[in-house]
Amino acid sequence: MENYLQFLSIAILLSGFILVANKRVDSYIKTFRLQSVLLALVAGLIGVGNIAREGNWEIMIVCLITLAIKVYYIPHLLKKTVQKVQYKVEKDFFLNIPISVLICCALVIIIYFVVPHIDDLRNANLQVYLANAMALVLIGLFFMISRKKAIGQIIGFLVIENGLFTAAILSTEGMPMIVELGIFFDLLTAVLIMGILVFRINENFESIDLDKLRNLRG
Amino acid sequence: MELLILIIPLLWMFLFWGSTRKWLLHMINSIGTLLLLILALVITCKVNASGHIGYPFLNHFFYLDALSVIVLDIIAIVSFMVSVFAIGYLNRELAHQVINLRQIQLFYSLMYAFIFTMVLVVSTQNLGLMWIAIEATTLASAFLVGFYNQREAIEAAWKYVIICSVGIALALFGIVFLYISAVNIFEGSKSNLNWLFLLQNAKLLNSSIVKIAFIFIMVGFGTKVGLVPMHTWLPDAHSQAPAPISALLSGVLLNSALYGLIRVLAIVNKNLGSNLYTGRLLVTAGLLSIATAAVFILTQKDYKRMLAYSSIEHMGIITFGLGLATPIALFAALFHMINHAFTKSLLFLASGNVYLKYKTREIAGVSGLLKTLPITGTVFLLGLFAIAGMPPFSVFSSELNLIIAAFSANQIAGAILFILLIASVCAGIAVVAMKMFFGENRSPGMKPGEENRLGLSVLIILLLLITVSGMLIPDQLKQLLESASGIIKGVA
Amino acid sequence: MGYLMAGIIQLAVIIVLAPLVNGIIKKIKALSQKRKGAPLLQLYYDLYKLMKKDMVISETASWIFRVTPYIVMSSVLLAALLIPLSIQLQPIRFMGDVILVVYLLALGRFFMALTGLDTASTFGGMGSSREMMISSLIEPSLLVAVFTVGLLAGSTSVYDMMQNSTLTGLAIFQPVYILTFLALFIVLIAETARIPVDDPATHLELTMVHEAMLLEYSGRYLALMELSAAIKQLLLITILVNLFIPLDEFFHIVNPIMMLGVSLLGYLVKVVAIAVLIAIVEIKTVKLRLFSVPNLAALSFILALLGFFQYWIIGR
Repeated sequence: MENYLQFLSIAILLSGFILVANKRVDSYIKTFRLQSVLLALVAGLIGVGNIAREGNWEIMIVCLITLAIKVYYIPHLLKKTVQKVQYKVEKDFFLNIPISVLICCALVIIIYFVVPHIDDLRNANLQVYLANAMALVLIGLFFMISRKKAIGQIIGFLVIENGLFTAAILSTEGMPMIVELGIFFDLLTAVLIMGILVFRINENFESIDLDKLRNLRG
Repeated sequence: MELLILIIPLLWMFLFWGSTRKWLLHMINSIGTLLLLILALVITCKVNASGHIGYPFLNHFFYLDALSVIVLDIIAIVSFMVSVFAIGYLNRELAHQVINLRQIQLFYSLMYAFIFTMVLVVSTQNLGLMWIAIEATTLASAFLVGFYNQREAIEAAWKYVIICSVGIALALFGIVFLYISAVNIFEGSKSNLNWLFLLQNAKLLNSSIVKIAFIFIMVGFGTKVGLVPMHTWLPDAHSQAPAPISALLSGVLLNSALYGLIRVLAIVNKNLGSNLYTGRLLVTAGLLSIATAAVFILTQKDYKRMLAYSSIEHMGIITFGLGLATPIALFAALFHMINHAFTKSLLFLASGNVYLKYKTREIAGVSGLLKTLPITGTVFLLGLFAIAGMPPFSVFSSELNLIIAAFSANQIAGAILFILLIASVCAGIAVVAMKMFFGENRSPGMKPGEENRLGLSVLIILLLLITVSGMLIPDQLKQLLESASGIIKGVA
Repeated sequence: MGYLMAGIIQLAVIIVLAPLVNGIIKKIKALSQKRKGAPLLQLYYDLYKLMKKDMVISETASWIFRVTPYIVMSSVLLAALLIPLSIQLQPIRFMGDVILVVYLLALGRFFMALTGLDTASTFGGMGSSREMMISSLIEPSLLVAVFTVGLLAGSTSVYDMMQNSTLTGLAIFQPVYILTFLALFIVLIAETARIPVDDPATHLELTMVHEAMLLEYSGRYLALMELSAAIKQLLLITILVNLFIPLDEFFHIVNPIMMLGVSLLGYLVKVVAIAVLIAIVEIKTVKLRLFSVPNLAALSFILALLGFFQYWIIGR
């Protein structure tokens, strides 16, 4: 069990690397979906364990919501948005890919050096989970600042959220149910609002290139 | 009964979609905030009498004490003022055909959603729910910021949503850390995220996790508060939003986010046994914010942006006070929170009137304000004096208290830096803004006369409020502030 | 069992088996395309045929051209002596460590690159420069991955690592092993010039890497080069299967000769499995542009690095 969870937590981190190595908006969405599937797997594994041990369904429900929202609905929504704004394949990144991957590697190394300094984490597994999740959050942040297109930033935000979710579910077996539900609700609304703003940016600036958002300064 | 404070705005969100009659919309709007105001005052009296209000259902999520009541009162009073002002403002915009009736519906509905989320922030003690509510404030106000749907407004809304969402996400990480440290000790307890529970058991939590949690939460909520260097969304959002929303953002939203930070601060300080760790972080962040704002105010060409930078400055001042964490500093910081909220919403509302008249946000485009808009102009000028920290207004008295607190806490260097910085901000405001008021009106074809008459009453009431509270603090308020600073010190 | 005996078994099995692996991969690829394909033993026939043929050697070729096939062959054979096929072959234990293996292979590659430049043909030079680029990209991840396994075993001897894996048994399904396995698998693909890094079946001038360096060879020399390439591939597969897929735990046979036989049989099965895996990768992917190879190398390096950190944090 522990081995599987550890492996999944690393696989989720790796999917972050795949994301950074991607060039096209379509593949961002696919990678995000893959990551969410892995996340749902984590929740599912813990959920099944909990049901077997204490008959506690909460985490299983979280798993199902993850499947519905993060695996199905949000990627679907983003795909539709991309289609509607008629996104043209252009260069979308400031740094070339090997350099971005290496930067992410450096971020991971930093995190792996930092996390062992937090003492009194219950066990070594917890350290690994937290390190991986924190590294994923940093990769998400890096992804956001390295892409110019609005969709890339949305995906970066979602990846950060995934990192948080992994940290919460792996290290504490999930926050209280009502909080989880609220977080999902917020996430969904945030993505909807960002999607609508992408349309408006596209209308007003004839592109979703964020380089053009330069009217407000100082 | 107290739950109505949550139910009313939630209900009102939907009421506006029932009718398209203008007067009815305005009526519903003003009744809603009036009810909210009355309820808030009732709750204030109750809390003053009994200490705190809480219900056991849903894992004790509903909880109000003196600290939350202070912010709740700010929310209720400013919302009421703003909603009355908004009637006149929206009518003028409607008359100028900038917006249509459906947009008024949307405006009111989103405004109530915004108010609801902020009330939720202060009325829950579950840190997870508090986080959700703070994130929801961003989402509810995103379209209000982008309300005018022009290039600049959309840009501001995009920056606002992205920067705040990401910042807030980091705060969630901090809360997860706190939760981990609580779960480590109290496995299986249902109240591991409850503020009261965490505060009572703060000594047991693991310090090294709590420290990391505080860093994350400070960066996260600090983004929403507008602390430098996470402040970049703030001038854009405040300057592009319609004036009533700017007033809400600056007067209320920043305080709600700061409230979240204060709650965590109390736990962390109690856990570490001193304010050394948090104090250094907060004092540095506060002074940095004031300094940055001072520089940017001097170079402003846009009066709403100038006000926005002034908000950053005042958030810095409050953070500075929180960092000192002596009882008198906390008292002054909380008092400053109230004063800033009223003064800044006064200024933003007045700037709304100026915008309605001149149709520009450029300082250079406005002249002879005192002659063109005699009342608004006077109030605006006095408000600027107040925000710059001149006596007899209330901002002066809380700033003075803070300086005294800083000296008595032996933070001599910090205190001197603080005085120099707020003095330079004061000078900056004078240099930049004063040219708006005097001289002749250079805009051709503009007749002197007020645009938003209903709004004037609001401006005058707010001006009275800040003048009176600058000279005497009512006993009720004093008691509230004292018990709130006691709560932050962990005496609850 | 003496050193001599163990060494002979080692070399005999590897030399005999190596061309078969190529045959299996080719056969599977052919079947996937609904072709019948060349027979499994085709490479043996080819080698036999090449041995009998005359050699054509360029006039401008120097002594390097002539010694390279022998150096490459002997370097892989030496390496073959350091990588035990089964933990039953205990004498191999004392012969050397994995760093030596890595650098013996590097020696062979160095001479191969030299000989590519030696005849001054354009393709040879191109192939050499590409080969060096790929190997310099892939070497860090090879070393990190191998060292991680070495740290787990507390030794750099291949035999000790194998023994440690065998003792770990089923618990080998841990992130650190999986990650290093994946990293080494990418290394294997890159080092043996397979799709997606290089296409062994093509002689298209713009894309070939490995073949370009061998272009000038013919007859016996070519046979030696081809055979040593096949052996190198089998060696890397051997490292992979023996470090990450230990089977010997499951058999308990007292007679050492029988046990050795069973163990070698198991080894054969594992090698075939990896060969199938390589074939599947070749079928499913297309060749990368040369400038995308660094991305693949970076992926391999990240896998190896993450694996290392898993070990480092948990401190197993």
